[in-house]
Amino acid sequence: MQEREVIIIGGGAAGLAAAVACQQKRIEDILIIERGDYLGGILQQCIHDGFGLEKFHTSLAGPEYAQRYVDQVVDKKIPFLLNSMVVSLTSQKEVIVINYRGLQHYRAKVIILAMGCRERTRGAISIPGARPSGIYTAGVAQELINLKNYMVGEKIVVLGSGDIGLIMARRLTLEGAEVITVAEKLPYSSGLPRNINQCLYDFDIPLLLSHTVVDIEGNGRLSGVTIAQLGKRGGIIPGSKRKIACDTLLLSVGLIPENELSREAGVVLDNITGGPQVDERGQTNVAGIFACGNVLQVHDIVDNVSLEAEYIVEGVAEYLEGKLTKEREIKVELGDGLRYVVPQTLCRLKDTIFSFRVNHPGEKKILVFEDSKKVIKKKFLRRVNPAEMVRVKLSSSEIEEVKTLKVKLV
Amino acid sequence: MEREFICIICPNSCRIKVEYEGTNIKNIKGDECPKGKDYVKNEITNPLRVFTGSVLVENGDFSLISVKTLSPIPKKYLKKVGEITRRIKVDAPVEIGQVVAFNLLNENIDLVVTRKIKKKNSLSS
Repeated sequence: MQEREVIIIGGGAAGLAAAVACQQKRIEDILIIERGDYLGGILQQCIHDGFGLEKFHTSLAGPEYAQRYVDQVVDKKIPFLLNSMVVSLTSQKEVIVINYRGLQHYRAKVIILAMGCRERTRGAISIPGARPSGIYTAGVAQELINLKNYMVGEKIVVLGSGDIGLIMARRLTLEGAEVITVAEKLPYSSGLPRNINQCLYDFDIPLLLSHTVVDIEGNGRLSGVTIAQLGKRGGIIPGSKRKIACDTLLLSVGLIPENELSREAGVVLDNITGGPQVDERGQTNVAGIFACGNVLQVHDIVDNVSLEAEYIVEGVAEYLEGKLTKEREIKVELGDGLRYVVPQTLCRLKDTIFSFRVNHPGEKKILVFEDSKKVIKKKFLRRVNPAEMVRVKLSSSEIEEVKTLKVKLV
Repeated sequence: MEREFICIICPNSCRIKVEYEGTNIKNIKGDECPKGKDYVKNEITNPLRVFTGSVLVENGDFSLISVKTLSPIPKKYLKKVGEITRRIKVDAPVEIGQVVAFNLLNENIDLVVTRKIKKKNSLSS
């Protein structure tokens, strides 16, 4: 059994930022464990630009953004393992890793969960029909095209308007494929508006809202899909079905935080985010296990992943110094209009950044924080969109007196 | 003429309402930073986009490297640049920022590498 102060599970955007932040806090005894064969995670296949505007004040491609952190990890000689899979994590913070050298046992004072998320598949959304080849999740198609030099198809339908699906619609077009349409089940897109603009409208790719794929045809290879329009209650509108001939279907239908290890360690998850329930510095219900990045909540902007990782490392440093004691336990209550809030509990009096997603798109909304008696803070939001995470900071003085805390959107 | 633009410069995705005649902006609302105004000016005269894509790399630890244009290029050239990138080949190792193609389409379009690629089987990091 090898001992470490901090073990970081996952060497993607969150794990790298957490490692660098630990190093800056003079926590030296770190180990990053990455299951892939390179650091940087999903960023390495996100070759489009637009990353780093907040963190570095310039627009970077995904691999450039990753390299800024990889360079720091290498410069500071932060240890990392590649091609190494964590197969077991306990509440005692014991870790079993499997790689080419066999099994290795570690024990850490702190575990930082940074495993990211994975894509929902055809099975998860139960599309009926044949089971031919030519059906990919958008992220897998992205990996094949951008890293493996494998073109996925020629005539493409995208189901779901998540950002990866939008980015891939543009990417496939630029690689010479024909993207026939992007169908979205909801009456609004689940991707960022700027991506709809520059990935679809720039190339005249129609976005069909309130539409979904209801049948898949193909013997061997996909030969076509049937799409239908959905009514207000989500049922198929009679007579709206039509067939589209295509050889490829990309699915961009949501991301699921990858928390099998967390669950095994006894970490309590939030049903909505799919990530651990945490306090104001990302600590889970298991003392010494922290979470950040997409394993905690799915982000739309990588800069926020890095910032979140740096922010929870403040808690990690305090924990290691024995200063992270539970002063109180206030459950953050969710009111109207909001899908979720992170953190779910407040255990100490600290400046706290809250992250939210709203239920529906809207304009001129007010986010209200209140305790049982009075309003603590209001924030005006010109526009809200479920695709865009809202982040609001409350200072320690603002939450000093509170006994209960409720947030709502009015 | 009135039109609403969705700014693509940053994730704020500002909705910018513009009243304009030809290329002359008469009234502009909703731009939360100066970049929004510049974006709209370009959109109504000559829309610009950064092209990102990939080119083949030989003897590298990956078979593709990602590239982008050094600066935003006219939108109408995006597909043409895409076609050209499918024929470019470079040799590993490659560093971020290295220029792999100059003056494409005679329009001063340069492609730079956005990922570090090592030579195959090399041990340096």
